[in-house]
Amino acid sequence: MSTGLDTGLRAQAAAIAAGDVDPAALLEATLARIEQRNPALNAVIATFPERSREMLAAAPEGPLHGVPVVIKDEWPLPWRAQRFGAAELMTPTAPGESGPYRALRDAGAVIVGVGNMHELGAGSTGATSVYGPARNPWNTECCPGGSSSGPAASVAGRLVAGAVGADGLGSVRFPAAYCGLTGLKPTFGRSAMDGHHMAPVTTLIVSGPLCADAGDCRLLGSVLYGEELAAGDASGLRIGVVRDTVSEDVTAEVAEACDAAVEALRAETGGEVREVELPDLEAATLAAILIINSESMGGTTPARLNRLDPELSPIARGSLKYRMLLPATATTQANRVRTLMRRRLSALFAEVDAIAWPTIPAPAPPLEAPMVELPSGTATADQANVRGAALANLTGIPSISMPVGLSSEGLPIALQLQAAWGADELLLDAAEALERANGRRWVESLPPLAEASPTEV
Amino acid sequence: MENATPADDFIPAGLASLGIEADEIDLAVMAAFHQLLWPRLLELLALDTEGLEIERCPDLSQAPR
Repeated sequence: MSTGLDTGLRAQAAAIAAGDVDPAALLEATLARIEQRNPALNAVIATFPERSREMLAAAPEGPLHGVPVVIKDEWPLPWRAQRFGAAELMTPTAPGESGPYRALRDAGAVIVGVGNMHELGAGSTGATSVYGPARNPWNTECCPGGSSSGPAASVAGRLVAGAVGADGLGSVRFPAAYCGLTGLKPTFGRSAMDGHHMAPVTTLIVSGPLCADAGDCRLLGSVLYGEELAAGDASGLRIGVVRDTVSEDVTAEVAEACDAAVEALRAETGGEVREVELPDLEAATLAAILIINSESMGGTTPARLNRLDPELSPIARGSLKYRMLLPATATTQANRVRTLMRRRLSALFAEVDAIAWPTIPAPAPPLEAPMVELPSGTATADQANVRGAALANLTGIPSISMPVGLSSEGLPIALQLQAAWGADELLLDAAEALERANGRRWVESLPPLAEASPTEV
Repeated sequence: MENATPADDFIPAGLASLGIEADEIDLAVMAAFHQLLWPRLLELLALDTEGLEIERCPDLSQAPR
């Protein structure tokens, strides 16, 4: 009997349900796989085999019965408080149940590990973490993307078939893009968030699935949403493209792959592509940054900042202190920009069903120096990445990132689609249409690290 | 931007007014953030949103009313 280890999430769930895979064998094979591959990836920063076996023993007959998953270090578990990738958080945390934990448990899933993440969720690369950086399975010298670095690296490295991340400014979509996965940023409020230390105050962060393909994201997403994300039809998809920095200040390879993907999606759906205007994207990006900075600092006092843990990175220390200096009027203006962009998007989604642009302007940079070369010059990856992601968080709309190619250096390239509030299912339909259009070439591509090892442990 | 407040003045003055301590590394990191963010922040503040009907307690899971 196969352990089902190297199959996808829905294949694992179906094989277990059919009795073709023994979930206990799958769990042990997954734990062995983590032990085997994780030293090269640092994707999983905590395992708890006895807890996992207890979860399996108590697992109900849900849609993920017996399926191993990883959850980001952003939510508590009953036996472990989240650390948010940092030496300390501005908000106290404690072990406990969270929304994503309950959703996974009630679906019968087995949590096998906690995924690494960028320190304090404040980076798109995953290059900084109290645990040391996670590494990209496509090239372990490169960034896996952040802040959900460990969840992405653990799925791309085929440690597990699905992982739960969180997205406050692109933190599901960046690592999905860097690691060649599909990642869904849900409409704000649709996916389980409670138990997150910022859940009471955030207006940007959502939980979201990272998987090899859209079908697996639909399955894991349905669990996180607490409702079925029913498959529909993306026929006649009206795709809007924005000729702005987000689509033009990108590498030639990214532009070429994304343009080809948009055309393939149009042809597959029998839809249309039209250029649309969406002014003030730079302002929208800064507005989202200001709002999340403000929300993340709630209750932090100057005295608190004078006794920061010395293990916090210099960037985190400086960033936390700098946030205290930002004028309140800027956050007020940021909220006005939020209204402005929400109204513009509302009008735009009467004309098109989805807006497309590259998820990332350049493939994963080196961990040692996370900089990218763009037509406009050299930029930090964080600076360049965020401008394509923040709009969805600022306004609440859903967004999906899907792999659409490999660079000449063998690193994934990704396209992002954004749709109207509540149209999460349409994004999955569109992603599946694109997979059909390109023969599932990119969602089935394996990184060298996953190809090099035996398929069964 | 010419009217950006120089980090050399703004950051130490701001920290002192709040009673926040900072070492040289903190100051260097903050100066880098300031250089990156402040000009864009001024542009944001200059964006004309007069006449915009503000959403009161927006429901971010829905289109604006």
